[in-house]
Amino acid sequence: MKYSAMLLLAAMGSLTVQAHAETEPVQERPDKQAPLPSFPKVADQTYLVPRPLSAIPEGAFGDKVRLGYQLFVNTQQLRDKYVGNELNCTNCHMDAGRKANASPLWGAYFAYPAYRKKDNKVSSFEERIQGCFNYSMNGKAPASGSSELVALSAYAYWLGMGGLMDEANISGPVPELSDAELVKGAKREDFPLPEALAKAMTVEQRANLPGRGYPEIPKPEQAYSPERGKAVYVAHCQTCHGVDGQGQAIAGVYTLPPLWGPQSYNWGAGMHRVNTAAFFIYENMPFGKSMQLTNQQAWDVAAYINSHERPQDPRSKGDVKQAQEKFHNDSDYYGVEVDGKVLGTEAYPIFPKKS
Amino acid sequence: MNIKIKTLATGLTLLSGYAMASVALAAGATAIPQAAQLCVSCHGVEGQGVEPLGPRLAGLSKQYISTQLQHFQAGVRQNATMMPMAMTLQGDGIEQVSSYFSAKPANEVKPVIRGEQVVFNDDTARLAYQGDWSRGLPACVTCHGPSGLGGGLFPRLAGQQASYIKTQLLAWQSGTRKGDVDGMMANVANKLTAAEVDALANYFANLK
Repeated sequence: MKYSAMLLLAAMGSLTVQAHAETEPVQERPDKQAPLPSFPKVADQTYLVPRPLSAIPEGAFGDKVRLGYQLFVNTQQLRDKYVGNELNCTNCHMDAGRKANASPLWGAYFAYPAYRKKDNKVSSFEERIQGCFNYSMNGKAPASGSSELVALSAYAYWLGMGGLMDEANISGPVPELSDAELVKGAKREDFPLPEALAKAMTVEQRANLPGRGYPEIPKPEQAYSPERGKAVYVAHCQTCHGVDGQGQAIAGVYTLPPLWGPQSYNWGAGMHRVNTAAFFIYENMPFGKSMQLTNQQAWDVAAYINSHERPQDPRSKGDVKQAQEKFHNDSDYYGVEVDGKVLGTEAYPIFPKKS
Repeated sequence: MNIKIKTLATGLTLLSGYAMASVALAAGATAIPQAAQLCVSCHGVEGQGVEPLGPRLAGLSKQYISTQLQHFQAGVRQNATMMPMAMTLQGDGIEQVSSYFSAKPANEVKPVIRGEQVVFNDDTARLAYQGDWSRGLPACVTCHGPSGLGGGLFPRLAGQQASYIKTQLLAWQSGTRKGDVDGMMANVANKLTAAEVDALANYFANLK
């Protein structure tokens, strides 16, 4: 009786809002990094198109937007200040955060602030980006209201707002916002919008723009396997990411990013989950999409990549087992024995200096 | 007919280059490995390239040169001159040639890091640095590195002959050049217009 009531509630939920991936945890997670929402891709879907970067206005506001782009693409300029690995934001958010189905910035901007039960508070857009620095970038997040977080927020806002205005045939420059407004994010009733735009879509609709996140793919037919994944990796990934997964640097810049090891995302990053990585890979890899991996291949290679040691989970208090129970056991390999070693026990340092 | 004459001419040039290189070696002027002596008449003793006979090799990685020689041997890369030339490399010939030329210094080009420049007024520079994702075209510098400096399996484009870059992009399009994993480079080349092929070839050739 109780069970069927829950099923009914679940069914109703999927009618009103798009259902979250079933692999997402039910319980609230104590980190500030909410799981990426994932929805299956819809055929012939059209997506928001951001304005060209040449349309960024002159002036102080435009300067923030431009700085946001520069930080997003060349995040390594923050190495040792806020970044502790060799990644750049654009490694996972293709086309500098503009591409649909590659967790575009414009999709995220309109989805925050988002209420978080655990903290019993609302996390702003800048707090979500702080999560990226602490986990995906294995670093130490810039302070709230810092020029970096303002710039990244301004860039995300400008991409999203320009695209929405164009869709609604509203001409003219994107309205300028104060720093305090920018870092909050746009999922709120009091978010300043052109009137026509406010009427065209609800807050909830803007928070669920098509192309947000990475599209969910069905569970694999066979349980995912790092062993099979290794064969996929060798055939399709290692030319760019290296035999040892350490990426490739040219002129000191890793445009082809390390996927595991000391210079990659840490055990707290969303991408360490096999499901998130499989969704990303299926949609966005191999780079340029000269071919399509199968569903099974995407899951298997995600398992292979994510069953290697990487920097420690910053939430861990030193006990892998404890951290596993508290934060993991969730489509991931933290605390799991692979090749005779329990992953996490030999994790690499958090926020190491480059030299 | 034309091709035959060209091949013959190339062959003669190669032979004279071979003789010259041998003389130079005998005089102790340069230490060119024997396997590389055939190469220098078209690619230059310093691997600087001889347009239009042979592209610049200085600045290419050992891994790239050896892989391409294997591709010529296997017919994955089709070229009337280079296929028989590559076949002369037996034993550790490929190892010697790729070591020799990859060690040659390349022209200094200042690396411009992706993300430094936000707005490009030049469509070609924008394509190189930001791609055109509306056509599924990634930026060239993603794989070829800042300023197309190249590394590993990805060849240096900076300072390469424009005529060579162009013929290679056309070869990717026509399928006479293959050997890229999953057709990654063919996929990119096939999306380029004829004008973009010309423009990109000139852009990278002239990077300082």
